[in-house]
Amino acid sequence: MLGKGGKRKFDEHEDGLEGKVVSPTDGPSKVSYTLQRQTIFNISLMKLYNHRPLTEPSLQKTVLINNMLRRIQEELKQEGSLRPVFVTTSQPADPLGDNFREAQPAFSHLASQPLLPTDLVSTTPLESCLTPASLLEDDTFCTSPTVQHDGPTKPPPPALQPVKDSFSSALDEIEELCPAPTSAEAVAAETAAHDSKDHPSESNVQKPEGLPESRTAESKLMDSLPGNFEITTSTGFLTDLTLDDILFADIDTSMYDFDPCTSATGAASKMAPVSADELLKTLAPYSSQPVTPNQPFKMDLTELDHIMEVLVGS
Amino acid sequence: FLGAGGGNDIQWCFSQVKGAVDDDVAEADIISTVEFNHSGELLATGDKGGRVVIFQQEQENKTQSHSRGEYNVYSTFQSHEPEFDYLKSLEIEEKINKIRWLPQKNAAQFLLSTNDKTIKLWKISERDKRPEGYNLKEEDGRYRDPTTVTTLRVPVFRPMDLMVEASPRRIFANAHTYHINSISINSDYETYLSADDLRINLWHLEITDRSFNIVDIKPANMEELTEVITAAEFHPNSCNTFVYSSSKGTIRLCDMRASALCDRHSKLFEEPEDPSNRSFFSEIISSISDVKFSHSGRYMMTRDYLSVKIWDLNMENRPVETYQVHEYLRSKLCSLYENDCIFDKFECCWNGSDRQVIFNGTVTFFLPPLCSIVMTGSYNNFFRMFDRNTKRDITLEASRENNKPRTVLKPRKVCASGKRKKDEISVDSLDFNKKILHTAWHPKENIIAVATTNNLYIFQDKMN
Repeated sequence: MLGKGGKRKFDEHEDGLEGKVVSPTDGPSKVSYTLQRQTIFNISLMKLYNHRPLTEPSLQKTVLINNMLRRIQEELKQEGSLRPVFVTTSQPADPLGDNFREAQPAFSHLASQPLLPTDLVSTTPLESCLTPASLLEDDTFCTSPTVQHDGPTKPPPPALQPVKDSFSSALDEIEELCPAPTSAEAVAAETAAHDSKDHPSESNVQKPEGLPESRTAESKLMDSLPGNFEITTSTGFLTDLTLDDILFADIDTSMYDFDPCTSATGAASKMAPVSADELLKTLAPYSSQPVTPNQPFKMDLTELDHIMEVLVGS
Repeated sequence: FLGAGGGNDIQWCFSQVKGAVDDDVAEADIISTVEFNHSGELLATGDKGGRVVIFQQEQENKTQSHSRGEYNVYSTFQSHEPEFDYLKSLEIEEKINKIRWLPQKNAAQFLLSTNDKTIKLWKISERDKRPEGYNLKEEDGRYRDPTTVTTLRVPVFRPMDLMVEASPRRIFANAHTYHINSISINSDYETYLSADDLRINLWHLEITDRSFNIVDIKPANMEELTEVITAAEFHPNSCNTFVYSSSKGTIRLCDMRASALCDRHSKLFEEPEDPSNRSFFSEIISSISDVKFSHSGRYMMTRDYLSVKIWDLNMENRPVETYQVHEYLRSKLCSLYENDCIFDKFECCWNGSDRQVIFNGTVTFFLPPLCSIVMTGSYNNFFRMFDRNTKRDITLEASRENNKPRTVLKPRKVCASGKRKKDEISVDSLDFNKKILHTAWHPKENIIAVATTNNLYIFQDKMN
């Protein structure tokens, strides 16, 4: 923070962030552009989701931060890092009428938003940001890109998915069935952003673990973006009752015991609860209601088995 | 001698400072708006605690021709109270966003003050006489026993200590879903506009139970919202014309004769982005925080995060002049985004409408308005002035240190990079908590009011 006349010291990871944006097609400066973009993205998320004012937050500020996030999202999308987003159902409109708290919106319009002019023309993958393909070919989704410990200058992988393996296509299927994003994703995003902010050099590890996981988390996090014009209550967008239900209620995770995964890497042990949450939501039936553990799963047991097989990689 | 000098012929001196000396700033004392009335005799401030403080200039002492009258407290009143919106479970801040004076029509003064949701018309009147000698009442107000009244007398007015009373005459409420950022009184002096993030309403000063919506940029689907209204102002001469600025750096001029709902602008002022300066923050720093017409109405001035732009109303595709307020911040935008300073809303103002010219000490001429100097605030309690004629600019500081009356203020300089010269301040030493957002220029004289966080500074030019 800037103090009262005291000399400010830049954090290490901010080196190269200030100043003009460099073209992302240059060699090493491509990395700093991505790093800068990622940092700004995280900061923007923090601003939107950490703000718990007693009064209504400024609409102008919210709109500007939102535009920033959308711009970055469009860039990432153009780089091929995000799949085209899917249409989600809307929650019922606010019966209270014309106020800040509008209906939870569908996400589809963002796919058609005009791309803001950027320097980014090339769609060739940014090799230095990619997780080595070998990691993606591992049989479990639990493997995290643990190789990237190179320090602050190494950028976190921005959720790239250049290789379409069997897992991701199965995940596609699941997600096509997925209901509207719930506030839990926002928490996952916030946690990710928070981690990234606190440990910039390790953000690539602590981001939603495993590339497929991070991809879905990030796309879901994007989903929740348009809805943040509703974030006006003092309790905040994140303190939905259902969120508490999901996070703290007893969840029967016996079906989702990934024995091979938990012993794979150290980071994987952290992933089990997250994956259970994710799975819980992705396996929710074709309803727009947030998932509660008490809801019976309408999905066929055979389908569940199929999914389990894919996930376990057998 | 004939003295109608430009901004840099003016030598600014410290005159007064109002407010607490403490470094610990009480939140309620944060000044949120500053405005001179049309004669310059009164200077109003609004604060975060919902209070309005009005200062009055002492009548000039003819023997003390070397200084103009001082400003002393004339009236203080609580304009707005905090409210609670039960539907949304949110507080409505009592902070005064804007004050606008009405031109004086009789002995009383009128001003409009607004918070986020409600506009109020206040009447400020003086009472310096009171009636005495009633037949049926004692002096303390108790009724006399009628049987004791034996003679009749006529009550007379006797002088009393001056009492200044403020009373709310109109309350214009419940017309804004979003936060009001601007109010502007029309040149017909009968109507005024109020603007929030998405809508602009037209009011009649006499009518409080309804207003006309003249601009509405709310999209049918709130998720498509990418632009908000940031400021609005009526044209000073043309009572059917007004402008409003946006968070994307555009200004729209609208004519109310064209249609009831002015959603289609008559003119759109926008400068194309400079590709060499493009960054992630281009949109945010282009957001306009203030718009002010010149007194003739031929030009308007806009303030965005880094610059002040002068526009000719006849040219829409670019401003005629651009002045950089603190270009050295361009390389710090990421940090300023992180600590929210990039969202600070700086205002700007023109120099006074009339230029008083003294000739031989006895004859006074008034030159037509020049609008040749613009003033705006910055960080570290610095404020800047730009002279449009000489193209020179100056940076001054509002600070209690080294400020003796009639001592000329020393110009400041910020060192952007490289070796810092003596007396220069490096960018990294700037205090971003000390921001000057609100400034005002006396309509007739070279007197300026500059608000730091919780203090009000008054500077005058050095009269010889």
